Amino acid sequence: MKRLMSQRDRVSAAAWLVVRDAHTAEDIFQNVALKAMSKPICFETDGALLSWAFITARREGIDWLRRRKNEPVILDETLLEQLEREWADEALGQAGGRSQALRDCLEDLPAKSRDLLKRRYFDGHACEAVAEQLGARLDAIYKRLSRLHQALKKCIETKLEQPAG
Amino acid sequence: MLRHLNGQLGPDEEAKVADLLRGNAGARAFLRAVAEQAVVVADVERLDQHKPQPAKVVTAVFRPWKWAVAAAAAFVLLAAFVIATTPPRHAAKVSDILGPCQYIAADGKVRDEVKVGTVLRVGDTIRTRSSRAWVKLDLNGGSLMTIAGRSRLRLLNVDGRRGFQLAYGNLWATVAQSAGARPVSIQTPTATVESKVAQFDVETHSMTSIVRVNSGTANVVRLADGQAVDVVADHQAVVSARRSRPFAVARQPEPVNEWSCRLIAGSGAVFGKWLPPDEKNSVRLGATPLLIGKKATVFVANFSVQCSSSPPVLIVSGSRVRIRGTTRTEGPVYFGITTQRIKGAFFGKYTAMVEAGALGQAGEPWQVEVPLSQFKPMSKDLPGSPAGMELADIWIMSREENAELEIHSVKFLPREVRQ
Repeated sequence: MKRLMSQRDRVSAAAWLVVRDAHTAEDIFQNVALKAMSKPICFETDGALLSWAFITARREGIDWLRRRKNEPVILDETLLEQLEREWADEALGQAGGRSQALRDCLEDLPAKSRDLLKRRYFDGHACEAVAEQLGARLDAIYKRLSRLHQALKKCIETKLEQPAG
Repeated sequence: MLRHLNGQLGPDEEAKVADLLRGNAGARAFLRAVAEQAVVVADVERLDQHKPQPAKVVTAVFRPWKWAVAAAAAFVLLAAFVIATTPPRHAAKVSDILGPCQYIAADGKVRDEVKVGTVLRVGDTIRTRSSRAWVKLDLNGGSLMTIAGRSRLRLLNVDGRRGFQLAYGNLWATVAQSAGARPVSIQTPTATVESKVAQFDVETHSMTSIVRVNSGTANVVRLADGQAVDVVADHQAVVSARRSRPFAVARQPEPVNEWSCRLIAGSGAVFGKWLPPDEKNSVRLGATPLLIGKKATVFVANFSVQCSSSPPVLIVSGSRVRIRGTTRTEGPVYFGITTQRIKGAFFGKYTAMVEAGALGQAGEPWQVEVPLSQFKPMSKDLPGSPAGMELADIWIMSREENAELEIHSVKFLPREVRQ
């Protein structure tokens, strides 16, 4: 379970790619964790556990979508599998700290940027709604979000490259 | 890529995104980064706004040595894990507030001061404590809810739904369709009201709930026998705790512009205490003490249009409120009206103070007629007059216990037509 918890962000993110709602993605991760706990067999390797977790999260996400109407078109399953494989490879080849680095980077963001991310991903508003709330053009919102995501990605990489201590 | 995640692309563009992702590792890395950032943003905000458990508690639950304990202990750990890590299923943020309110957190902590921006999570309760109070809630995704008057709302954990319990009072809900939004489910003492997309209002008391749907559809289940009906736009249903009462969907009647609360029938008076008839008045409703905060009690009688089985009452310019009653002191009495948009959401509250001079001699019955123009909006955001809105209820309030305020008649009259 500790191993699964260490990959919480990745598994939740994989679920988010399917459902596009952060709270539902978190619900799905909880379900995956509960299933892992109640599973009678042990996973021999971290890779096997992670692979099982990604598949289970994806299936839960697709089930969740099926229960609803007018949901966004999701990526082809083979593509989702490819993304999950890359996540798993990255997780196995990388020491912890990525999750904390992302949190630290978010802390360092200006309030305005964090507000934009919050509206889009915590409040779950579509970009159109965010643009309306902020009195901005839709294109401007996409550009700001894109820059923010790139900046956060770079910030994480920088933090992970820094020597500990 | 962000347009794809926003669900904005057509089939051709989606195919292009898929091709790009298949052939470009950098694009896949960006998509993975966006997804991770999205869930972590939500996680950080969740913790910031609610802070239900320090993160280290979660870690402690999963220490390896715990896996060696007996099955019973493992079960306890499992329960602890679920409690510690299961996030609240949905949330509601206070977007507007007026009057005395109380917030009761899921862990039992009580706060008498509630501010705009407070986030309610599953298990939390909010109470509006007086006739003049209201709270507006933002449920995310464009869905909104307002409770007003003396109401109590709790966020429930209902599987696959955004659950609420309206223990008593009035609620107006706008459930908007948005990606990922779950249906709203409202439990009252007598009914369950569920909707995916609708604008509706619910008035509930211990024995009856009235559900009026203005747009969309709400599924209403009568708890007394499990019967369910779909209430569509412009229709309503009355849900009694008694199975012997009819349970059917009816079209909302056309609005009228006058109302005489049928006190003799009893159903219109929703807050107050019936007093025995005396030689002057066969119907007497005494104001009931209402604790609205620390060391603050007021004495109120409240009358609901809907509960009196009246058609909707349209407020027009020149309307008047006529009340008959008695008070035994020389203090002022306050009249209040709650308004909502015609076939729509909550609008606001207006009050008027009636000075002792207008009430005549203490202890003697009085009849007071207050024109609409004397009612003042309770919020600076409201227009000066509620003309054009629908009347939801009328309340009469005194601050003095020894006033022994009692009400004998409540009428809402149309504009006088002069010959």
